[in-house]
Amino acid sequence: MQRSEISKQEAKILFRDNTYKIMSKKEKNIDQLEKKIKTELDNFTRELETVKNLIELDKIRTKYIGKKSFLIKTLKNIGDLPDDIKPIAGKKSNTARNKIESDILKKEKIFKNIEYKNKLRKESIDLSLPGRSTGTGRKNIISQVVEEIEEIFIGMGFEIAEGPEVETDYYNFEALNTPRDHPARSLHDTFFISENILLRTHTSPVQIRYMESHKPPLLIIVPGKVYRRDYDVSHTPMFTQIEGLVIDKGINFGNLKWTLETFAHEIFGKDRKVRFRPHYFPFTEPSAEVDVSCNICGGKGCRVCSGSGWLEILGAGMVDPNLYSFVGYNPEEVSGFAFGMGIERICMLRYGIDDLRLFFENDLRFINQF
Amino acid sequence: MKVTLNWIGEFLSAERLEPENIASALTMSGTEVKKVEYMGDKYKDIVIGRVVDFSPHPDSDKLSLCEVDIGSSKLSIVCGAKNFKKEDRVAVALPGAKVKDITIRKNKIRGQISEGMMCSEMELGLSSESEGIMILDNSCEVGDSFSKSVGLDDVVLELEITPNRPDCLSVIGIAREISALIGAELITGEYDFQKRLNIDSKFKIEIDDYNLCPRYSAKLFRNIPNIQSPQWLKNRLILCDVRPIDLIVDLTNYVMLETGQPLHAFDKDMLYSNKIIVRRAGKGENIKTIDDSIRILDDDALVIADEDKAVAIAGIMGGKDTKISENTKNVLLESANFYGPSIMRTSKKIGLRSEASNRFEKKIDPMLTVFAIGKFEDLLEKVANFKTEECIYDNFKKVERERKINLRVGKVGQVLGKDIDAGLISGILTNLKISNRIKDNSIEATVPSFRYEDLEREIDLVEEVARIYGYDRLDSIPTSTRDRRGKYSLYQKTIKDIRQALCDIGLVEVINYSFISAESLKKFKINLEDGYKNNVEILNPINEDFKLLRPMLLPALMKNIKDNINHNIKDIGIFEISKVFKKNSSGKLPFEINMLGVMLTGKAAQKGWDEKERAFDFYDLKGILEFICKRYYPYGSLRIKERQYRFFHPRTSGIVNIEDLDVGIIGKIHPVIIEETETGQDAYYMELDMDKFINNIKETQKYKFVPAFPSIDIDLAIVVDNKIKSEDIVNEIKENGTELLKKIRLFDIYRGEQIEKDKKSMAYSLSFRDDTRTLKDIEIEIIINRILESLGKKFNARIRE
Repeated sequence: MQRSEISKQEAKILFRDNTYKIMSKKEKNIDQLEKKIKTELDNFTRELETVKNLIELDKIRTKYIGKKSFLIKTLKNIGDLPDDIKPIAGKKSNTARNKIESDILKKEKIFKNIEYKNKLRKESIDLSLPGRSTGTGRKNIISQVVEEIEEIFIGMGFEIAEGPEVETDYYNFEALNTPRDHPARSLHDTFFISENILLRTHTSPVQIRYMESHKPPLLIIVPGKVYRRDYDVSHTPMFTQIEGLVIDKGINFGNLKWTLETFAHEIFGKDRKVRFRPHYFPFTEPSAEVDVSCNICGGKGCRVCSGSGWLEILGAGMVDPNLYSFVGYNPEEVSGFAFGMGIERICMLRYGIDDLRLFFENDLRFINQF
Repeated sequence: MKVTLNWIGEFLSAERLEPENIASALTMSGTEVKKVEYMGDKYKDIVIGRVVDFSPHPDSDKLSLCEVDIGSSKLSIVCGAKNFKKEDRVAVALPGAKVKDITIRKNKIRGQISEGMMCSEMELGLSSESEGIMILDNSCEVGDSFSKSVGLDDVVLELEITPNRPDCLSVIGIAREISALIGAELITGEYDFQKRLNIDSKFKIEIDDYNLCPRYSAKLFRNIPNIQSPQWLKNRLILCDVRPIDLIVDLTNYVMLETGQPLHAFDKDMLYSNKIIVRRAGKGENIKTIDDSIRILDDDALVIADEDKAVAIAGIMGGKDTKISENTKNVLLESANFYGPSIMRTSKKIGLRSEASNRFEKKIDPMLTVFAIGKFEDLLEKVANFKTEECIYDNFKKVERERKINLRVGKVGQVLGKDIDAGLISGILTNLKISNRIKDNSIEATVPSFRYEDLEREIDLVEEVARIYGYDRLDSIPTSTRDRRGKYSLYQKTIKDIRQALCDIGLVEVINYSFISAESLKKFKINLEDGYKNNVEILNPINEDFKLLRPMLLPALMKNIKDNINHNIKDIGIFEISKVFKKNSSGKLPFEINMLGVMLTGKAAQKGWDEKERAFDFYDLKGILEFICKRYYPYGSLRIKERQYRFFHPRTSGIVNIEDLDVGIIGKIHPVIIEETETGQDAYYMELDMDKFINNIKETQKYKFVPAFPSIDIDLAIVVDNKIKSEDIVNEIKENGTELLKKIRLFDIYRGEQIEKDKKSMAYSLSFRDDTRTLKDIEIEIIINRILESLGKKFNARIRE
């Protein structure tokens, strides 16, 4: 507060010193002020021309519109002026100050640009240096494909069911229409834990388990490990399957075709042809094997498709009505279809892998390729 | 199974069978054609030649120079064989021909021009070994194509016959399918057996159990001609992968391939008497089979016996003593029907599968037995001009072999999603030799004997209609998705997210077999406490490495890092999410637990232009554990409880505890195991029970206010004895920190010059906050003093100056 009072005092002295003699008349007073302001502006403009950097610019800012500058003092003490002069003096001073301010800002922008340029020029780095490493993890190819297939079927309204890998003979064979002494059992070379307990040879037992505990409508897929007693280039004692089951009123073979065509197009591409061939499975009737056209030869026949132009991808069929008797459904009321595929086979076809055993050797040079 | 098109053609009225069309029609009706082999192409540029003259090679003792007439010209050929003479007909491979995948060229052999090659049976792919070149019958026309002259100008179809179609395990069966597919007439020939059945009783057949042997037919052939099978017959067998042996055996095989009925020929004179008994084997009864091995049988096996001993294992293999030899004069031909499941059991038990057992297993038609004998007779007459007036002995139990099935026309449409006209359905069945008539909206069908086992129900006929009609002609119909929402369960989603998260932070996912060897468990001292008894054991493992179901993932991941280190990949972070197995009480399924295993070894960071090299240590692994925990559990839920495991370093070994539940183990692999497994570098491992981990997650979390007032952060460095654990200090700080203390973070540990030996400085950042007001400095000062006082009392801690 004190400081500002002192300023008022100073202003009075200023007016006294420079203008007292001519303050008797209003016009003269204004004329005097205008002259002074003009002189200030002229001086400012001249000095601004010579300014070379931001520091010098700051100096003339202080000089012309700083607290102690003529213009600011005038504006500050305008209240002390006679009433008739006040408005004109205020207006003139403000205009002058604004002009100075904007000129300085313009100049400042130019200097700042130059300064940035100079500063940034010094900050260059070698963009070709390698970045700091982050993780290079990889999901196993089998998981990748399983998840991809799961998402396709989830999109079609399916849920995902799971079941035990060690099964009873009942769920793995018996309830799937494959009693003891059934010739189809010889297709599944089985690992046994005891006479009635075995490693499941397919994911199909989950069909029965799920039907036992759920009522139609149901749409499920069942991913999981399965086991068969076989070990060579094209057989491993463990591999991965995805099973599917759809049961509802009025489900027919046409629905099976649509679902599996849609799936095959999603996983192998819309341009691939899909065909359904009659086949035999003990727990479906009619049964089918599903092929997609060979992508290597475009269907003309080559080594990969052993000349047929087609690649087998899955087995499927209408659920055999006998199965419904095991789970208490009425075959005249509901119907459905089931399908199953080997994941490693899908991977092999997609990526051209020729040795099934690679999937379980866990050579990082293999896994990291996908 | 292989069949040839010419052979099939003998049973069809069709003019010409187009191989590609036939193959495609069969495949699309359920008999998958795996391969079509054009034999004519295989023998392209191999012609019949006549040896005009030959002389020794001037520069070799072993080679001869031959002049061979091939009709259009005479060729000079250098030959290494000696078994030919002038005028012999031989198979000549001309330049350009392919023999055993090698293309024949005109070239010089030791200075002499050779314009082709005279081939041996082995080179022609007709036998696995041969001496000298193949000498052909003089009736072969010089210059003719070799394949045409010897009946090899044929097309071989390799078929996959599904187990429900034993009727298709024969040339006639396939011809029958083709006749239904292309509308050609099936011609199988007529036989009038009745008048020749059992007209005398010179020979007796006794069947102990008709359930195991529903029918046994036989016939005597006396004074059989002692000749070789003609080349065309041998060739057909060869094309179907059957090795020619002698005339009688070749004929039994030929008839089996043609009709599907396995035949067996006994040397009649080696049988004890004029009686054949079909009975169960005695326990431990043994028999020497024709492959010279002694087979020990149990009382479940069925044998063919004379009054002295077993002479064949029924349906599987004949006995050595009664087998056909070059001295055989009289033959007893067996054409029998055995119960499939019994044959399958025995063949599995003694580990012997044959073409015959493969057919019996699948239950073949008992009506075939006398038909096949008829075919054999015909053939014998054809190739050896041999006729006999002997009768056929036939013993059987009369069984129903016809079945009536009512097929609703509407059912066909319902199952297939497309209505098919009754007339069309009826036509398809008729073509399949299933007699039927349309009545109202149904079709009354009568299944013939050869399809009796496979067509039992309405749905079976629907399938027959569908496969002949063609799956490709059925519509593709979108499934309605009413009431259905597909999604992952919370459990499944969490597993998927954890898998993704682990990959994102740099781990690689492995998948190992569920099997483990007992030796491996011992090496890792897993389940040592209960004497390794608690494992799930496989009764019939592939080998010892696959003997048990693994109770832990550890050994497999250990092997993974070792294998990769051997490939010079030494810095490894891997994980696996798989089931482990624990024994349950007898008769029950084992426990299956979904486990996550994580293994780190080697360097956490490589030396880089701006980074220091650093090896993985325990805290990298614990960091991963905390990273997973933080996603699902509140701050402070995780604790590591010290606990020693035999496979872990005794000082770096603990239990993972989350919200007072033990969910896994964590530690550094014991140096002894590193050494024994020859891994060569430290490794850190944890295994988490995913079932416990996920099921313990609280499902919903309530929203908490975003703090409106600032926190006050205080850094506190204290000096304590080296042995004091951070966890204890943190607990003590928490104890005295009041509810205003929201977070504690250790940010520095210092040991060194500035403090006493055996002591360390622990620096914590403490964050205080009140959700309703701004805290005053003085409040916090009081709390800090209280904390310092209690740390001083409890751990003799002092503030670090």
